Amino acid sequence: MFSMKHSSRVVLTAAFTALATVASAQTVRVNYIPITDVTPLFVAIDKGYFAAEGLTIVPTPSTGGAAGVPGLMAGAFDVMYGNVVSTVLAQQQGFKLEVIAAGTKQFDNPANTNGLVARQGDPIKTGKDLEGKTVAVNTRNGIIWLFARAWINKSGGDPGKVTFKEVPFPQMLDALRGKQIDAAFMVNPFFNAAVTDTKDFQLVATPYRDVQPDVEVGHYISTQDYFAKNKETLAKYSRAFRKGVQWYNANLRDPDLVRIISGFTKMQPDLVAKLDLQTLPEVVNLASVATTVKLMKDNGMIDGDIDLAAMTDPDALK
Amino acid sequence: MSIAASLMPGELTAKAPLRRKLFRQLARTRLSGAILIALLLLLWEVSAARGWIVSDNWPRFSAVLVAAYRGLLSGEFAEILGATLYRMLAGYTVGCILGVLFGLLLGSIRLLDWTIRPLIEIQRTLPSPAIIPPLILFLGVDDTLKIFIVMLAVFPPVFVNTYGGVRGLDETLLLTARTFGLSRFGTLRKIVLPATLPAMTAVMRIALSLALIMAVIGEMISGASGVGNYLMSMQYAMRADSMYAAVICLAAAGYLLNRIFLALERALLHWHHSTRIE
Repeated sequence: MFSMKHSSRVVLTAAFTALATVASAQTVRVNYIPITDVTPLFVAIDKGYFAAEGLTIVPTPSTGGAAGVPGLMAGAFDVMYGNVVSTVLAQQQGFKLEVIAAGTKQFDNPANTNGLVARQGDPIKTGKDLEGKTVAVNTRNGIIWLFARAWINKSGGDPGKVTFKEVPFPQMLDALRGKQIDAAFMVNPFFNAAVTDTKDFQLVATPYRDVQPDVEVGHYISTQDYFAKNKETLAKYSRAFRKGVQWYNANLRDPDLVRIISGFTKMQPDLVAKLDLQTLPEVVNLASVATTVKLMKDNGMIDGDIDLAAMTDPDALK
Repeated sequence: MSIAASLMPGELTAKAPLRRKLFRQLARTRLSGAILIALLLLLWEVSAARGWIVSDNWPRFSAVLVAAYRGLLSGEFAEILGATLYRMLAGYTVGCILGVLFGLLLGSIRLLDWTIRPLIEIQRTLPSPAIIPPLILFLGVDDTLKIFIVMLAVFPPVFVNTYGGVRGLDETLLLTARTFGLSRFGTLRKIVLPATLPAMTAVMRIALSLALIMAVIGEMISGASGVGNYLMSMQYAMRADSMYAAVICLAAAGYLLNRIFLALERALLHWHHSTRIE
């Protein structure tokens, strides 16, 4: 574990020293959540794709969530991984953001990496069954909350009759066991721990897939100001990052990938090896994003219109 | 019975059964505290091992010990504790200095008191975690933010106690100082400071643990180092054993800081009676 961390640091140090000689070396500070969705970023760092473009990446994790957009606006970091709902909400509130690269998308494949989980034996199959019950989401007004509501609605229930409770992902399993909640919308690695424990838990639904099969869950964003002033840097960044996505998609079962993921998520390698990994997108699909924005409108999260094309780097679309 | 025992110790000890003798010896040492902790830890171990409590967040205590051993051996814990203690001590020092400074100034100069105190009174009711998002906007997410959050938590209690100490000074002391023709600075140095020092150090010791808590909270929000960040990462990586190991090391560091503070306080305030307690 620590030797892995060490080796990734060696790579970073090597990148630093290599760059020290290049006069045009530039630093991009990237904020991320330590989940498998951001793996291509670390692939691109590990494989030297950023270094080849003359970029130094300073990755900063945030698990709390509060740091996200305020930190970006304050210039604490230049690029961040954010979910589409938070990005659109922030845009609506007047933060000028630019989508610079694709992040996470639900593709049509049999592997689930997230979903709605309930206790084994409880009669919960549809949204109707959840009326009068309590569902855990990581944050209110987030993408998880939105899709939990949308799924309940789609499967015959009234989300207004369901109590939503904010529970951090690591505590959802305990809350289910302790019967403080009746269902939870979980992500990996907790989702994996739940669905492999069939004695105690059952998978109820996969809301992303069921509601909007092609949903783009997350993107990489910067401020429009940074985007306008650093077009060249961001072009290099996107090129290197895309190489990271391509390598990742081509090597989903590569042991090297386990090492990289374990390095930045701090998960033990044997746990990483157990997780299903989703293919990740290379380009942003604005039609998908528009569908999600409409869903936000339907759920009263926003009222105005959002000009998606105006806030997306054209290079991220192709 | 116990009264009788204290009245005639020699006679009863001779006749007392072994069990009672053991208990009496226990009462003379501080061993009972250690035994209670050991029993609770044993309960932890057994409850996890026997499956009384089933959760990924409830590892066996022995697993926590192994994680602590590994963390300490690899130097990882030294690294994260070092980062946290640096931020904590930086914020603590600034908070204490400002608290004492404002306490002395506002306590002795009425115009300053009436001008600045309302602002401080409002500030000290604000819970620091609640104002973190706007703080991020101005201070970013790096060390500055975390040190500032610690400072913000330490300042109010230190200020209030220092201010209270100055305002509560015995009028006779001040009159005596005036009779002896002491200057303003001389009064401060010879009368005010010594008289308020016990109140200051008492609150500074309380603020010490407050500072440690705030440093960890600050690190939980963002950043790649420190105990707070480590606790969050370990939760999300499903490594509860490492998380508890870090918590135990943090507690040990907090305990150690408190002991160091007490030693310093004793050296500084050897003349004051409150230092003899404990």
